[in-house]
Amino acid sequence: MAVTTNLTWWQKKILQNHFGEKRLSLLYKASVHTFSRHHLLGRCSNQGPTITVIYGDNCVTGVYVQESYQEQEEISSVIIFALKETKILEYKIRSYDSLLFGSQFMSRNDDFCINLHNQKLSIPSDVRKKLRLPQDHISIQECEVFRCEDLLDERNIKKIIELRNCLLSDLKAYKPYGDLIQEIRILLLGPTGAGKSSFFNSVKSIYQGYVTHQALVGTDTAGISQKYRTYSIREKKDGNALPFILCDSMGLGENEGGLCMNDIVNILKGHIPDRYENNSLKPITSNHPNYIDSPLLKDRIHCVAFVFDANSIEHLSEEMVAKIKRTRREVIKCGVMHIALLTHVDTMNLITKGDLIDIYRCMPVKIKLNQVNRKLGFALSDILVVSNYTSEWSLDPVKDVLILSALRQMLWTADDFLEDLPLQ
Amino acid sequence: MEVTTRLTWNEERSLQKLLGNVSLTLLYKSTVHGCSTEDADQRCTDQGSILIMIYLSDAIFGVFMLGNYPKLNNSGKPNSSFCFSLTEKNNIIETSFLKVNFVPKISGKEPVIFSLDSDTFSIVPDKSTHNIQFNLKEKLRVANSSRATYLECEIFRVEGIMVDPSYIPRIMRVTPHRNKLLSELRAYKPHADMVSKIRILLLGPVGSGKSSFFNSVKSIFQGHVTRQAIVGSDSTSITEQYRTYSVKDGKYGTFLPFVLCDSMGLDETEGEGLCMDDIPHILRGHVPDRYQFNPHKPITPKHPNFITSPSLKDRIHCVAYVLDINSINNLSSKMVAKLKQVHKEVLNCGLAHVALLTKVSNCNEVLQDSFLNMNTSMTSQSQIMNVHSMLDIPISNILMVKNYASREELDSLQDILILSALRQMLRVADNFLEDLPLEEIGNLSPFCSS
Repeated sequence: MAVTTNLTWWQKKILQNHFGEKRLSLLYKASVHTFSRHHLLGRCSNQGPTITVIYGDNCVTGVYVQESYQEQEEISSVIIFALKETKILEYKIRSYDSLLFGSQFMSRNDDFCINLHNQKLSIPSDVRKKLRLPQDHISIQECEVFRCEDLLDERNIKKIIELRNCLLSDLKAYKPYGDLIQEIRILLLGPTGAGKSSFFNSVKSIYQGYVTHQALVGTDTAGISQKYRTYSIREKKDGNALPFILCDSMGLGENEGGLCMNDIVNILKGHIPDRYENNSLKPITSNHPNYIDSPLLKDRIHCVAFVFDANSIEHLSEEMVAKIKRTRREVIKCGVMHIALLTHVDTMNLITKGDLIDIYRCMPVKIKLNQVNRKLGFALSDILVVSNYTSEWSLDPVKDVLILSALRQMLWTADDFLEDLPLQ
Repeated sequence: MEVTTRLTWNEERSLQKLLGNVSLTLLYKSTVHGCSTEDADQRCTDQGSILIMIYLSDAIFGVFMLGNYPKLNNSGKPNSSFCFSLTEKNNIIETSFLKVNFVPKISGKEPVIFSLDSDTFSIVPDKSTHNIQFNLKEKLRVANSSRATYLECEIFRVEGIMVDPSYIPRIMRVTPHRNKLLSELRAYKPHADMVSKIRILLLGPVGSGKSSFFNSVKSIFQGHVTRQAIVGSDSTSITEQYRTYSVKDGKYGTFLPFVLCDSMGLDETEGEGLCMDDIPHILRGHVPDRYQFNPHKPITPKHPNFITSPSLKDRIHCVAYVLDINSINNLSSKMVAKLKQVHKEVLNCGLAHVALLTKVSNCNEVLQDSFLNMNTSMTSQSQIMNVHSMLDIPISNILMVKNYASREELDSLQDILILSALRQMLRVADNFLEDLPLEEIGNLSPFCSS
């Protein structure tokens, strides 16, 4: 029989979050390793903090113990919990002794006691009430013990910093395909308030070494950025310019509002100058004094990033969805490659900071990606996630890694575009 | 002391990949849990497959045991374990394997935690020492001067593998086999140098994975997931142009000896998708790269870029029918009729052809140890028999792949399927070239044209 937990992904995640961003390693499973105190302690002693989960007929409950389980020593504090749908009820008991895993001889009637041998769990009635459990005596169907480790432990942090430095040097050394151009132009497109300007600010912050807000951001539905802006980024204050330019556009709006399709095509082809004031009703014409008449390859957009707030995908109106699909078609028609960028993943339900180190494996994110794929038609491999710097004061290597890897994907995508160009 | 592994994140990742995307749970750590045989034994029995890592001051090596950690004084099954060492060079973790006929054994009396193949390799936990025979050391690339004492011994449970005897040979061969396929494809030359590149046409219903197959092939040679051919889903085909893609061997490499030709998807609705009358033109090489398809009418010789007298190199040499394995049994009768009609055209031209089934969910089952043949259980699957009877394609030419469809890292097993499929396409294309009637070569060969 396989040693795998009976907890669903959600239950496990709720436990992990509740006890402080822990990773749970299953050490003991009663149905495989026999229902016995001796076997449990043999496998689970000296393992540091643990969570013991007990499955009753119609409830899931258990204990969190900060200190290592030991054969003899007493345990001073225990948190008893009950898992209810999406939340956890808990009850702390102090100076508990090793009766936690008592036998029938040792246990008194009114104690909290996990009797593995008889597969019985007794709960004092006050605890039972607090935890809203059905009975004082629960017959144990299964018992599992997990070791709790910090998700963001020293080892992971060290690796994240290494990864961040590796990405930084990759991006610095990047050269566009075939040396056709010097800098890659990445256009950020998306609904108003999706986090386009924030993404630029985040990238800039990383290279500056502190959080900056050069591009004004806001959630005003009219779209704060009215002007089309092209931003180069320097490494530190007086370093060299990096090989990419982020182009921030006015948000796509409902109905006729926001950036209009004509302007998008003009931006893609490189006709629109920096600081051009977009007007949703009047697209740019070749008569405009700053209109770029015959743009070169370097003036064109080489990669489009469709930016969305991860939490608002389900709230996108049908009109907006249609507009995005239309825009995507237009981008494809212009021969430009694109990706989708989901921002604010850190504020998704159940996601914690620790999850950001392996975000694409998180179930809520996988579900979100599938949702975006179904609703908007982006291929799964083209959807990237980031967490922008919005309210924090200082940089965080975990966020940096996500932002920089998204950026690297965009540059690879631009390479694909350059390679795809017709020879002339 | 905290129970956390000594492995770096990088090392842990490459181990997980090496063993086939498994997850590892640390059960025992000698410096925390004690060094006796019993200490390890009580924590690690009945946990399923086990990985033992031994850390020396200048090397790390491991033993994988399939099935279960052997009980004290009992021997494990033969052929159910292997040894490997981990070395890091420029941030890349390299592993060297050793195929072993070891019988893992754990004996309590003599303080040996396990011994393999009559003591060619053993560990004495009480003293934290290990013994490795000289030639074994060499194969594992462990320096001979290494001291016998180890710093630490950790034991992990390995989750996410099938306890199957073919698992070990597969894991050990997967990377070398992938590399062999890669070099074979790099060195490939079309039959008798009749052409310099084989043209493979990808044909199939909308959304079956034609563009994704090209992206996947390119990704393998590029080393990361690429997206040159735009994919995604929409009510109608995303691909509206005829594209002939050459693939480079790396960003700065040379072109590989094949061209993948991506067409618009076939649609069961009349007036949507690839126009049926375009197909003969594509097959004969009249349609230029980047031709914008029109679902309503086919290309005509009047089109400015129409290739009027295509030579052998412009023609299609192999057709791959790309089908989503999950939808084969639910194809509408209209789509089946369309596919049959296309196939008739292909047969008319005498072209080589294969079927490429995409979105295969379990790559493991497709491959046998040798990575050459499909498993018998797979061949009997209804989808394969269905394709076999629908288009009368021999089973050996029904290929299966899982395209790179999400932002995952490259995976050797997935690569092997994709590369094997490509190799089979080149092989059938060779047969086609060899089979060409001489007069046709005379008429078409680029060397003979006036």
